[in-house]
Amino acid sequence: MPKLIRMPKLSDTMEEGRLIAWRKKVGDSVKRGEVIAEIETDKADMEFEAYTEGVVAQIVVEAGATVPVGTLIAVLRLPGESEDAVSAATPAAQPQAAPAAAPARPAAAAAVSKAPAGAPRVAAAPGAGAAQIPLPARVSGERVQAPLVDDEGRIRATPRARRMAEEKSIDLVEVTGTGAGGAILVADLEAYLAELTAQEPEADGTRATPLALRMASETGTDLEGVKGSGPGGRITKSDLLEHWKREKTVGKEREAVLFRGALQLSQKRKALIRNMVRSKAEAPHFYVEMDVSTDALREVRDQANRDAGDKRARLTYTHLMIKACALALEKFPTVNATFRAEENDIAIFDAINIGLAVDVQDELVAPTVKDCQGKSVWQLAEEANSLIQRARMRKLQPADYADGTFTISNLGMFGVDRFYAIITPPQSSILAVSAIAERPVVRSGRIEIGTMTTLGLSVDHRVLDGVRASQFLAEIKRLLEAPRELVHDGQSFGS
Amino acid sequence: MMDRASAADSLEVLRLGHVPYAEALALQEDLRARLGRGEAAETILLLEHPDVITYGSAAKDGNTLQSDTDLRRLGYEVFRVNRGGDVTWHGPGQLVGYPLLDLERHGADVHRYLRALEGALIRALADFGIDARRREGYAGVWLDERRKIASIGVGLRRWLTLHGFALNVNCDLARFDVIVPCGLSGVRMVSMASVLGHDLDFARVTDCVEDALRKAFA
Repeated sequence: MPKLIRMPKLSDTMEEGRLIAWRKKVGDSVKRGEVIAEIETDKADMEFEAYTEGVVAQIVVEAGATVPVGTLIAVLRLPGESEDAVSAATPAAQPQAAPAAAPARPAAAAAVSKAPAGAPRVAAAPGAGAAQIPLPARVSGERVQAPLVDDEGRIRATPRARRMAEEKSIDLVEVTGTGAGGAILVADLEAYLAELTAQEPEADGTRATPLALRMASETGTDLEGVKGSGPGGRITKSDLLEHWKREKTVGKEREAVLFRGALQLSQKRKALIRNMVRSKAEAPHFYVEMDVSTDALREVRDQANRDAGDKRARLTYTHLMIKACALALEKFPTVNATFRAEENDIAIFDAINIGLAVDVQDELVAPTVKDCQGKSVWQLAEEANSLIQRARMRKLQPADYADGTFTISNLGMFGVDRFYAIITPPQSSILAVSAIAERPVVRSGRIEIGTMTTLGLSVDHRVLDGVRASQFLAEIKRLLEAPRELVHDGQSFGS
Repeated sequence: MMDRASAADSLEVLRLGHVPYAEALALQEDLRARLGRGEAAETILLLEHPDVITYGSAAKDGNTLQSDTDLRRLGYEVFRVNRGGDVTWHGPGQLVGYPLLDLERHGADVHRYLRALEGALIRALADFGIDARRREGYAGVWLDERRKIASIGVGLRRWLTLHGFALNVNCDLARFDVIVPCGLSGVRMVSMASVLGHDLDFARVTDCVEDALRKAFA
């Protein structure tokens, strides 16, 4: 039997593990004690070793994915085993792995799905598929069990039965043996042929053995174009396996011309795509942009942090930006508003809930700081930090990113000089924050060096006009350039 | 069971002073290999590193604010290593501990090992009147949700441990600044000195940590 390798349980309390990297690829031979993969749980990395010698026949879970303990991650072919033994053994031994394969969360790395219809959906490392055999995993029935093989790897049968099978083009894989040790007898072949004779011809004229028919229907394989080598030209199980293998190779070659692979979309990504398309299709965007001096902002931030000492989390530009937006939104309630197509009106939100676009391992989320009005910058900082940490731990609850009324997107840390974001429906606008950097500035007719950033506001023209959008952005600029108010406002309510 | 118990009893603690990162890593690997072959006892290395940034397996390059070249220009060495966790800093004034243990003698449970390391550091900190704790879901030793005083990241092969912990004693916390993700991390590193308001006798801290580790693992 091929060796099924599962996500190990490295601790009583370990529920899932992340596959950091494969050290071996499909086709590599593995010695006992050799490291085949690296696995992570909590803050511990484990180099995962093979306990038996063999050849990597399949990699089921790709690097980067996090899967529950016990999930099938790879299949090792033992010395002397054929590829067919792997294909025969895996589905039968896999019942608990079938559900486990699904929740495999492809993290930063993408799940590449190229398997033909009906084959199990596994995330395979690019280039690992060549030796991979499409498995009729969902084929049920006792007859798909691994056939009993003799020492030479042939299916056990008496010599007479073997001769007869050859003459009548019978695929021994399909025949149940009733002889000693499960060997196939002439009588078994006769029974099998009788079953074929009794078989009703298919409506479309294709001829296949009952087992091949069942496998085809359960995997959704079209038998048209599959060459039959069985009795009377019937398609047998072996023909079907051969067909799948070929189809996969051909499909791969065709795909390889255009693509290296395809990324499976997470539910979050699908929702994001729907929202962004909807926003650009329904909300007519316009854009206003202002340069903002940040010299005073840095001073105020550093001073506040010095004053706070170790008592509080460090205040950052992001926190001050949230506070500035909250104050400006309070002053301009019509920005904190939405166009309602059904009512054909503009509704003003009661709460000010500011969303923060955060990239978590290539996934964009926007947790929202709720009820910003009246909260001190420290309180906002605390709530924002907690949200962002939970986002990074992928522990956000739906409520954490619901009900945003305004969004801040910051690409400053990537050195972006200026950009505009797409509005998150149903909000009226989104603020794009760019890098803070030294720039030449003109002050009273002189060129000086100052630290600056550029704010870009995208606005839904159904809700706001240029004048109001400019006033709103100018208010944010004013607050950031004279930032004492940001630190002192709301202090009495704060922590 | 007796032979195992006596083997575990022979826990050795080596206090090495200042050791460059690469040298300490080579020493760890050598000791672990010998432990695996039964030629060495379980050992804990206690030392300080010169300025160095190391990336664990969960680290993304975006979590440093500078490129490797810039970091080197600022006087940091840079390494990518097989331990759990993100990017971190080691340097003068920080007590680094590398336990080379056979976890099969300690229950063969990764999480229990991490919790034991944290527990030992928490006990040592209590000796100095610092009330530290664990934080659910975030390995390491914390003062509260935001302030972290010791980091933990380990690597395992065949239940043999590598890497370990780093406790901030008197270190210059500004040296962490190059790895704080821009404004978003919300976690600040603190040291025993920054919490207590005065520098500590490094050797005395090392004594207490050694005691706590011996209680936990010997």
